[in-house]
Amino acid sequence: MANERTDLTAGPARSKPASGKWRYRAYSIAIAVVIVLIWELAPAFGLIHEIILPRFSDTAWALWTLVNQDFFLRHFTVTVREILSGFVLGTLIGFVLGIALAVWPVVKKVTYPFVVAFQSIPKIVFAPLFIAWFGFGETSKVVMAIVISFFPVLINTMVGLESVPQDARTLMRSLRATPLQIFWKVSLPHALPIISAGVKAALTFAVIGAIVGEFVGASVGLGFLLELYNQQLRIDRVYAVIFVLAAIGAFGYFILEWLDRKVIFWRDDNNS
Amino acid sequence: MELEKQLSTHMASTQGAEKDQAGLVSSAPVVETRALSKIFWVGEEEIVALDRIDLTVGKGEFVSFVGPSGCGKSTLLNLVAGLFPASSGEVLLLGDPVVEPSRRVGFMFQSPVLLPWRTVESNVLLPAEVFGMDLGEKRRHARAVIEAVGLGEFANAYPNQLSGGMQQRVALARVLTYEPEFLLMDEPFGALDEFTREAMNLELLRIVQSAGITVLFVTHNIGEAVFMSDRVVVMTPRPGKVSGIVDVSLPQPREIRMMHDPVFADLVFEVREILEQSRGE
Repeated sequence: MANERTDLTAGPARSKPASGKWRYRAYSIAIAVVIVLIWELAPAFGLIHEIILPRFSDTAWALWTLVNQDFFLRHFTVTVREILSGFVLGTLIGFVLGIALAVWPVVKKVTYPFVVAFQSIPKIVFAPLFIAWFGFGETSKVVMAIVISFFPVLINTMVGLESVPQDARTLMRSLRATPLQIFWKVSLPHALPIISAGVKAALTFAVIGAIVGEFVGASVGLGFLLELYNQQLRIDRVYAVIFVLAAIGAFGYFILEWLDRKVIFWRDDNNS
Repeated sequence: MELEKQLSTHMASTQGAEKDQAGLVSSAPVVETRALSKIFWVGEEEIVALDRIDLTVGKGEFVSFVGPSGCGKSTLLNLVAGLFPASSGEVLLLGDPVVEPSRRVGFMFQSPVLLPWRTVESNVLLPAEVFGMDLGEKRRHARAVIEAVGLGEFANAYPNQLSGGMQQRVALARVLTYEPEFLLMDEPFGALDEFTREAMNLELLRIVQSAGITVLFVTHNIGEAVFMSDRVVVMTPRPGKVSGIVDVSLPQPREIRMMHDPVFADLVFEVREILEQSRGE
């Protein structure tokens, strides 16, 4: 039904799917080339000061030399570990709390105001506190990443579980299914696409959490490195670190996207 | 037909309804409602969905319920299914009051309600899984039923690869696989086009007759109700009451050509008249 509708509207574009796809790809590449050209030429012609935007070629060279430094791997590993730990723990916590809120209406009624109140706090204000509580080590960054990343998973898990169609619940009830059977066989699979969207958001937030934590107080990590180069006015290296962080985020996101497609194969919007 | 063979062997235990020549059932009632009422509260407002319904349905009987929207037809099915409690009165199933859903009862909705992450076969096996049955044994049976509803080639397909009519066939196969003695159908083919619905109706009749299943069937379509049923129960709008019952004297098994029979036309007119009367009151 929904499929048929999208098929109709997408009809003309789809009649030549291969060429259309390549045309869009060509556009994207063209835009990238333009950006790189401006990035290279604007500083070269003095339109932008090189302190603000070092040339693309300088930045690329800075990236190359940075990743070949002995100390780079240490900073890289620490930050990746913080992001991963924060992301995994944040996702788990959000998932469990989301289930609790969806499954027990009483829990939701009692705690939901606190959840909303908590969410309205801009979480980075906790960063200095966490340094005070958990020290300068990785723990404070992991906690920061958890606090900032669990929420989208919580909300999406709750909403996903609550959006199970009434018909499906009635079907299961007419079969005298137990609440646990309804949960595993109907509710959870139904909620998976929505939960997955929350998990993807959580990854992005975990990166932010870890970096913010490092900004506020750390002696190792990519956030620390970025702060350091910024103070040293080695702006080309700052951009290099930003590139590395973007690459970490993008890589993680693509893995999640790939998993999503493997696990949630029945998605209606698979083709989009 | 192969279909009848498969189903009758699997459902031999539920057979045995004896019908006289008029198609009426002579055995004792298997479904009985006694002063069955249901009241819903919408805020402060009291809505009487069903008002003291007394009905008896015999074994193997096919009974349709027609009436305007909001006459409580669906509520009645839900009460018989034990999906929610009556406000007063009771439903007896084989003499026992209904207090919760029973595995002897199969429920079919207007939408197929298939799980999109399960194949056709796996959807059909869902009840068996929920009941904790031996799946190895059930799988062969499920295959036979899928074959019987004409989806043999699609056992491993996913629901979103099937048309609406095929999806509803899967829903039918799912409910037949656990061999219910009663089938409660809430406009099961209402969303399908005319031709598909007719074909599905004929198939349904063959299957339920060969398996001796008692059917309560809700529909908006008077012609469909008359064609399918042994009796048509006409209901009034809110509060839902029985305003008349029409015995369908058409011979069994039903065939499409009977729709041209003057008897058929008379019956449809009779049902329509009762509907008009109840509306005028």
